[in-house]
Amino acid sequence: MIQSLANWILSFEVLSGLGSSVAWGLSLFVVSALIFVFVAANAIILVYFERKVSAFMQVRLGPMRVGKFGTLQTVADALKLLQKEDIIPRSADKVLFIIGPWIILIASVVTFAAIPFSDSLLAANMNIGLFYIVSISSIVVLGIVMAGWASNNKWSLYGAMRSAAQVISYEIPVGITLIAVVAVVGSLNLQTIIQAQGGTGNLFHWIPIPLPNWFIFHSPFLFLAAFVYLIGATAEINRTPFDIPESESELVAGFMTEFSGLRWALFFLSEYANATLVAFLVSILFLGGWQSPFSNYAGAQIGFTIITLVAAMWTVFVKAKVNRLSIYPVGLALIITIAAWLFPGFAIWLASPGIFWMFMKAGSIIFLLMWFRWTFPRLRVDQLMYVSWKVILPLSLINLMGVAVWMWLTGEIQF
Amino acid sequence: MSYFSNITNAITTLVDGMKVTMGYFVRPREHVTLQYPDEVWPIPSRNIGVGELDSYNTIRSKLTVNIDDCIGCKACERACPVNCIHIDAYKGTPEDNLQITSNGTQVKLLTASFIIDMSECMFCDLCTPPCPENCITMTPDYQFISNDNLKTEVTPEERWRDKNLLIYQFSKVSEDERQRRKAEAVEAAKAKAALMAAKKAAAAKAAEEKAALAAQVAESAPVSAEPVAEVIATPVETVKPEAETRVDIPIETITVSKPEESTVSVSDSPVTEASETPPTKENENG
Repeated sequence: MIQSLANWILSFEVLSGLGSSVAWGLSLFVVSALIFVFVAANAIILVYFERKVSAFMQVRLGPMRVGKFGTLQTVADALKLLQKEDIIPRSADKVLFIIGPWIILIASVVTFAAIPFSDSLLAANMNIGLFYIVSISSIVVLGIVMAGWASNNKWSLYGAMRSAAQVISYEIPVGITLIAVVAVVGSLNLQTIIQAQGGTGNLFHWIPIPLPNWFIFHSPFLFLAAFVYLIGATAEINRTPFDIPESESELVAGFMTEFSGLRWALFFLSEYANATLVAFLVSILFLGGWQSPFSNYAGAQIGFTIITLVAAMWTVFVKAKVNRLSIYPVGLALIITIAAWLFPGFAIWLASPGIFWMFMKAGSIIFLLMWFRWTFPRLRVDQLMYVSWKVILPLSLINLMGVAVWMWLTGEIQF
Repeated sequence: MSYFSNITNAITTLVDGMKVTMGYFVRPREHVTLQYPDEVWPIPSRNIGVGELDSYNTIRSKLTVNIDDCIGCKACERACPVNCIHIDAYKGTPEDNLQITSNGTQVKLLTASFIIDMSECMFCDLCTPPCPENCITMTPDYQFISNDNLKTEVTPEERWRDKNLLIYQFSKVSEDERQRRKAEAVEAAKAKAALMAAKKAAAAKAAEEKAALAAQVAESAPVSAEPVAEVIATPVETVKPEAETRVDIPIETITVSKPEESTVSVSDSPVTEASETPPTKENENG
């Protein structure tokens, strides 16, 4: 994307005298700014949705007063945070205190350079994209430890130490799970991984249910691996139920106890950037990234008809027991189905790969993460380690071996 | 084996929890939130309104006064346990154009100032039953957030804390008129005091003369001691009248709640007893 942008800049006669290196640097700056803007806007939108989702799950309304249905609430909050006083505790280690949040933010934002939003829209098409993301996102723990140590506060230090232990523990099962995916494709390039998931096939290769060729339907082992990765990644980004580094009821706010104003906003920004990154990675690795779930327009029509029927049956079945059930999901599915049958162009658009599907999948995963957060209680420290070393790690190893055996059985690889 | 059963148990319980939260998520209209300034809880259906406001099923809340019906008798001021009602009523003159109340009573006093300090009010509703004209009542307004309240100027000594929005002046008399009447009343009191002083001086002088006369008489007849006692008993006026203590407390209340103690407590410390007396059931229902 950077190179194409540079070429586009040079294609103007006025700007052609700039030279290729200057144009490249300019487009690099533009792309970096775009990524940062995406991350910031994304955080603002996600905070709003998080508050709304949590409110609905707790039979509340959430923000309602700023703007229609409180849509401008997070904008107001962001403005408030920018105006706040910048407080650095007297006994804090000033240098580390200042650069800690920035390291966390940079480590979370920079990973988006390798995320392919569509088949052409990505900042850097690296052949080690997955490795890059895993390694860069591990730097976040460095910033957390710096922030916790520099605060000179026992809660902050506890939070930082817990975070370090947690992230290092969960890196291992997550890495092994990623290796299972890489073993199927034979590449670390995220575009190659997504391209390998195109088309439609049978569920688990043999069961005759037509489903997209996503890796979550590749084999029972990769199906499990998706959940293993989701759990491990949730722990890695310190989200509930694995939020012991910032557990409010025990450690005030963990490693961000002493931070306020803009620095605290940076933590918040990076938290949601990380959540988005995990959602994108799950979509890319297991749900086909920007691939459409339908292989052709007839598939889109039939698929949405089935979705609508299932949703309608579920609603009718549940509505007998539940009062005031929301029928908007069914209505939306019905409208899409009718539109797909009436307008073949719409069905073709649905069946074609693109940025829409990428964001739909990532959004669903983010909703799943929010659902986790507002349902599950927090784990104890020893339970956290138990889950990591005794449950997730053996499971990921079994997955890796199982995937290899599965591929040998189905004839995808020969020895 | 407990290892696997542990994992299965964890997964099933987590799925159960997720079902519960999703069950609430898909019915967003069943929320429990009350959007306060736009929606309020319904007022409990208890009827304590009096007179015109009888239809109000009010809770104990903001007091209001229909000043056209007020005769300035100060019954409510005396009934108030916390002294939050302050009334200045002066003898009416023909220029005051005093009306007849809705009960048919001719108003004889000009209520120049009728202040209720709602920041001190304890919402006991003891002031409404004594009113002979049913003009002080409680309203359904418990929120105190309206812009068009009856806030007017307050006296400087009441300004010492920032409660201006909770002090209500109900009298329609203008501030100048109020000050004029107050000054007049003060002057009348001064004149009365001067008159009293003059009377006292005259009485003292008379007593002195009498004593001198008695001394003369005693010189002639030293057996009598009666005039000496009269001299000692003369300075009656030096005893300060208890203007601030409230002697006129509703004695019925005390006798209803504590009949055996009533005589003792009233004579001992009437003020404390009145403020500590819990409101009776009759007062609660109005």
